[in-house]
Amino acid sequence: MADITKGVAVDATAPASRRVPRSLVEVVAPVAVIAVIILVLPLFIPSFVSSLVTKMMIYGLFGMSLNIIWGYAGIPSFGHAAFFGVGGYATGILILKVGISSFWINFLLAVAVAAVIAAILGVPAFRVFGVGAGNTNPIYFLLATIAFGELLSRMAIALRPLTGGSTGLAGIPEPDLGLGFRITSGRLYYLTFIVVAVCLYLMYRVVNSHFGYALRGIHDNEKRMQALGYNTWLYKYTSWIIAGVFGAVAGIMFAYFGSVMAPNSLAMSTSDISFLLVIMGSSTTFLGPLVASVVYVGIEYLASVYLPDRWPIIFGALFVFTIMVTPQGLGVEILKGWRRLVRGAS
Amino acid sequence: MALLEVENISVHFGGLAAVSNVSFNIEPGERLALIGPNGAGKTTLFNLLTGQLKPSSGKVLFKGQDITHASVFARTHMGMARSFQIVSLFSYQSVLVNALIGLQGIHKSRYGLVKYMLRDQELQAAARELLESVELWDLRDEIVSSLAYGQQRKLEIALSLASKPELLLLDEPSCGLTTSESADITTRIKELGSRITVLMIAHDMDLVFGVAERVIVLHYGRIACEGTCEEIRTDQLVKDIYMGSRKGLTAGSGGKL
Amino acid sequence: MSQFLVTGLNGLSYAFILFLLAAGFSLTFGVMGVLNLAHGALFMFGAYVGLQAVDSFGSFWVGIVLAFVALAVIGLGLYYFFLRHLYNKVPEQAVLTIGIAIIVANVVLWIWGPRAKIMQTPPGLTGVIHVGTLAFPIYRVFIIVVGLVILGILWWMQDRTRTGAIIRAGMDNKEMTVALGVNYGLVSTLIFLLGMALAGLAGVMGAPILGAYPSMGDNLLLLALIVVVVGGTGYIQGTMLGALVIGLFDTFGKAYVPQVALFFSYIVFLIVLLVRPSGLIGRRVF
Repeated sequence: MADITKGVAVDATAPASRRVPRSLVEVVAPVAVIAVIILVLPLFIPSFVSSLVTKMMIYGLFGMSLNIIWGYAGIPSFGHAAFFGVGGYATGILILKVGISSFWINFLLAVAVAAVIAAILGVPAFRVFGVGAGNTNPIYFLLATIAFGELLSRMAIALRPLTGGSTGLAGIPEPDLGLGFRITSGRLYYLTFIVVAVCLYLMYRVVNSHFGYALRGIHDNEKRMQALGYNTWLYKYTSWIIAGVFGAVAGIMFAYFGSVMAPNSLAMSTSDISFLLVIMGSSTTFLGPLVASVVYVGIEYLASVYLPDRWPIIFGALFVFTIMVTPQGLGVEILKGWRRLVRGAS
Repeated sequence: MALLEVENISVHFGGLAAVSNVSFNIEPGERLALIGPNGAGKTTLFNLLTGQLKPSSGKVLFKGQDITHASVFARTHMGMARSFQIVSLFSYQSVLVNALIGLQGIHKSRYGLVKYMLRDQELQAAARELLESVELWDLRDEIVSSLAYGQQRKLEIALSLASKPELLLLDEPSCGLTTSESADITTRIKELGSRITVLMIAHDMDLVFGVAERVIVLHYGRIACEGTCEEIRTDQLVKDIYMGSRKGLTAGSGGKL
Repeated sequence: MSQFLVTGLNGLSYAFILFLLAAGFSLTFGVMGVLNLAHGALFMFGAYVGLQAVDSFGSFWVGIVLAFVALAVIGLGLYYFFLRHLYNKVPEQAVLTIGIAIIVANVVLWIWGPRAKIMQTPPGLTGVIHVGTLAFPIYRVFIIVVGLVILGILWWMQDRTRTGAIIRAGMDNKEMTVALGVNYGLVSTLIFLLGMALAGLAGVMGAPILGAYPSMGDNLLLLALIVVVVGGTGYIQGTMLGALVIGLFDTFGKAYVPQVALFFSYIVFLIVLLVRPSGLIGRRVF
């Protein structure tokens, strides 16, 4: 986090025109480069690769949404799949059971459902946040969030008429953007790109806003924040909902991407992915989880080609490797390298 | 009207009374010190005033309003602020960000989700003023954990002043400082002016006698005696209380209560 | 009425399996502050070791001993090579042990295949006890008895022994305990071994009732954490109470309201979180 802070630090005394935030070089430039590459990529690559890239973007968004609370506010939620799954299920149910075909209406409704669920789950979650060994080690919170995801996944199994029970929802159609325009699976890539890019921008604004800095403060020293006049509960609760909403957007795109939604998309096995991305990509940088997502989806693909039966063991080993060998995160190393490159060039 | 009125406040932990039936007032502009040997209940009493702890019985009034059950942050908005005995900063952020976060605590912009905080000119100007007042403006881009301890102490005080308090509660403001740094803190507190009322806990008697106009001696959770510095210095009871714990009087870095 | 009593006994024996499962989990995290989310997977591994031993040596008791020892050894490795380095970093511990749980589950899948196995009730513990017109399976009574013995031992350790005193002191203030010359590291290691060994024991004991399948680790882990959160951490009584509440609720729920049985214990869990966030018998650590 320190890196970001320094990166965007602005000298208040400099005249407005001369203030070129370093963030322009360090964040906007790489984002723009990546954006251009992504936009022209499908012209050169086979479609299975563009489908991999779609997955990278969706998982990247999933990881980054968790990072708002984990990395910035220091709230390690282990049940982030709850929101991912709710977003996806809401989309599936709205299309298949309610019969709303418009992408936009579905999107808004699914996001609203996720926000409501986050608002409900946030109450017990933050009631136990300080219980256990205090805010630095929110054991109870951690356990509670694991249980939330599992509770929702069991409800998804139990509410068979709505959710399709343990087999889940299948046959979610391609998104209908209205005006008789239906996106084909090849072009889902572009839609995902636009959605993820907009979310990234919004999240970037949030974490660098007044609110975002208050979250950093809470991460560092919650007691002091209260003494300074911050209602820290409200911040944690709000950030939890914000993270939930962006996690749900990832889930919505995933439902369209995979065209199925199964109960385990709410459960621990999916939450595992989100915090692996956060830890692997480094919780202290904004883009870390996105970088991790590229690595993760890449490894997953290679494993599925060369060691199809051993992917789960590799997946498990990634956790152990990340925690024991690169606790700072791969993302931070890559971003550091990028900064050195930029600074060296200019 | 007294600024802070403490009425018969008590708190029990299990069966143990940590603070019992303590009452006192602070007048606006006053400088009051709270002393007592280790384990006398100073920190507990302090936490009752700041809202970290809720009393078992008794009342606390601030500016005539009952704040006994008000939250920590609500008290800050009413005009109370505190410092911490152990420096309590945002150690992974720069000095400037510390000041900005500190200043926006009572600022209406603190819930802003859209604008970049670092580009908030109003906050930036206020931060500059705040940091210049403690000579840390030149170090604004340093990460706090890399600052020297004395500088962190100064930032600690700056952060307690960031919410423009009427009542400042200082918990061992010179804890762990060298003699000259401690003298510097003493001057700073003196220079606050009469606009800010000060209540402080201190072990450092130079600080107490240098700053306080009135001293309350706490012993076993009760007020043992109370008076001006001169009265306390010569009081036989106070001497008796401190006899057994001579250390408590001099060791500025003495342990937490 | 008789249906009710039989369900009650089933619930009780289930509660004791839960207790054995959660006791190790609770010991390691309530006492040492080490969160081991691989606990469920290792319980499952214990069950498989027991099954294998029964297959190879034909003895349930050898299975129990082998599982006990195997998990103690795994626990030693896990603590010494990994968790020891993550002191006071609970989220990191959680991520690491989730990774280990995934590895364990897939190693089990690799070695023993995906099919669920169920252990035969060991000879000597088959049959039923008749009480009036009711018939109670001996094996379930056996589980309750073993559970009570373990509860007794742990309770005695907690309240009456030097180790217990060290643990309690360590819970309040680790530095202080270390300063007093207590070998906290050794005690921690032993507690962790004990917790793991208990998981192994419970895995084998539960195998005739719960069976064993590679994906059971997650379910068991969730049960353990619900028990621990409901009961409260730090005291063995809390774990027992949590196990009783969840075991009985779950069993009666399945018997009388099967529609919601799937997440009945989660509802109890949520209510406890809201009403008593530190658990039914818990230290209020604010």
